[in-house]
Amino acid sequence: MVTTQRRIKFNGNTVILYMCFIVFTVVVLLPVYWMTRSAFASANELNHVPLIYLPTFTLKNFETLVTQVPFADYVRNSLVFALATTFATLVVSYLAAYAFARISFPGSNILMWILILSMALPEVGTIVPLYRLLKDLHLLDTIAGLTLVFSSVLAPFTVWVLVSFIKQVPYEIEEAAILDGASLPRIFWHILLPVTLPGVVTMGLINFINAWNNLLYPLAFSVTPASKTLSVAITEIFAGYSPYGKPWELIMTVGVVMTIPMIFLVLFSQRAIVRGLTGGALK
Amino acid sequence: MQKAVASQTSLVKSRPARFTLTAAARRRYILFVLLVAPAFALRLLTAAYPVFQTIALSLTNLDLIKNTNDFVGLDNFTSMANDFGVRGSLEFTLLFVFGSTFLAVGIGMLIALLLNAAFFGRTFARTINLIPWVIPTIVAGYAFRWLLDDQFGLLPNWIFDTLGIRPAIFISPFSARLAAILVSSWKDAPFFAIVFLAGLQGVPLELYDAATVDGANGWQRFWHITFRLLLPLTVTMVMFRLVWALAGFDLVYGLTQGGPGVTTTVLALQVFRQGILFFKFGFASAISVVLLLLVSIIGGVGLWLFRRTDVTY
Repeated sequence: MVTTQRRIKFNGNTVILYMCFIVFTVVVLLPVYWMTRSAFASANELNHVPLIYLPTFTLKNFETLVTQVPFADYVRNSLVFALATTFATLVVSYLAAYAFARISFPGSNILMWILILSMALPEVGTIVPLYRLLKDLHLLDTIAGLTLVFSSVLAPFTVWVLVSFIKQVPYEIEEAAILDGASLPRIFWHILLPVTLPGVVTMGLINFINAWNNLLYPLAFSVTPASKTLSVAITEIFAGYSPYGKPWELIMTVGVVMTIPMIFLVLFSQRAIVRGLTGGALK
Repeated sequence: MQKAVASQTSLVKSRPARFTLTAAARRRYILFVLLVAPAFALRLLTAAYPVFQTIALSLTNLDLIKNTNDFVGLDNFTSMANDFGVRGSLEFTLLFVFGSTFLAVGIGMLIALLLNAAFFGRTFARTINLIPWVIPTIVAGYAFRWLLDDQFGLLPNWIFDTLGIRPAIFISPFSARLAAILVSSWKDAPFFAIVFLAGLQGVPLELYDAATVDGANGWQRFWHITFRLLLPLTVTMVMFRLVWALAGFDLVYGLTQGGPGVTTTVLALQVFRQGILFFKFGFASAISVVLLLLVSIIGGVGLWLFRRTDVTY
């Protein structure tokens, strides 16, 4: 409460504060409103002047997508890709983070920073060799190939955040378990994982969202509905034409399918996500 | 239970066994290597090796359509310098990356100040702040493209109703570029707001009290305390954002498709087009090398600045 009064004074006029709040809300929500409104409307109500702000509700666009494109495949691919990438990234990163947090010798810190700083590498800058690599491994146009390259991209940041989570756990707990004769997998699974679960959940959510939203790799490496994700689907629908020009009602429908689940995910896990996003930068 | 563990460990800690037993030390090395091996294998295979291959490919004319694959030295770089499209995209890339970073980080700090203030609806504001961050960039690109559509978009119609003119935003290079920079800032400012908000919550309130006693006004308190303490974080965030923005093409891919002409084409989009769509692997790799160089320069300057601006509380 003390801080409350202080802050109001610090920020000056309350009227300005609320004006900023309203502007902020409108600017953030306007595109979301526009997209949602267009997804549940028919094309002739969208392509109409004066604009219709609340068109007649219809699910026709979803029906069109399901019947005219392999929409179920795209949804499944997006889900499998996001889940597999999340899982692979967490496993690989957790093991490395444990080593960096617990075992130190001259040079181990440098190794950690090399790994972490490698996240600065622009992904598109290596797209050509990766294309050739996946081709050689017969992993072009497969979810496995996409998972391989994208888990690698996500691992450095995940390691960075997980190291700080593991370092917060007192080493004594593990030491006691080692003295009791517990094996390393047991220590991971029964002792460390439960205590660092918030960090794992946080990075799991962030990685899931990142993979779900990824466009570059599926766009470059997916050729057929066997591995095309929703992010590729939306670009393909944009490339098509309808009698009105661009089929905006369908583009916005894919947009809604890609966005609304993520917004709900964020609403229910806001704290966990904020913890992860600020974890690396502030510690 | 807790106490038992604590007493056990104090026994262990009293003798420096870990450092005298070389066998144990060796086991720790082996364990370390085994644990970091998967992560490093992944990075070596899909990051380090491709970087070197990109550099090697940039010296060839490997082209899957023309079916050429010879060593050509620096030819790709000279033809890049003469290529109108690539030169134009280098120029726009710098404008876009620096412009949108300046705006995204600046607006992010303003949003953080708003979200740190006390008002009715703050929790709501903090929650919706995450929406632009979570929307896929490609979807944000299309949503704004449609929102700004000259015929049936919301904003052009509002402008038409109030001013009587109907702006064709994506026809003029100036407004298309401005739109790309603004939408990119819309997408990323909330992320910086989250980071700055966490930073603001770490600023000791006593500092503000002391400053008020000394007669500092609101602006002076912001400039000398808040901004100064957030400066190292700001430098880090600017560096991050520059590097990310250099690598991304999703936004312009959705919003402008690089047009009109090539006026909003970023280098990353050039790499994608030349490499993946036209299969000019050699030429695309040369553009990638330029991108990698830009990232190294910006990253290096960023690290140097970061070490200079470190402020202790």
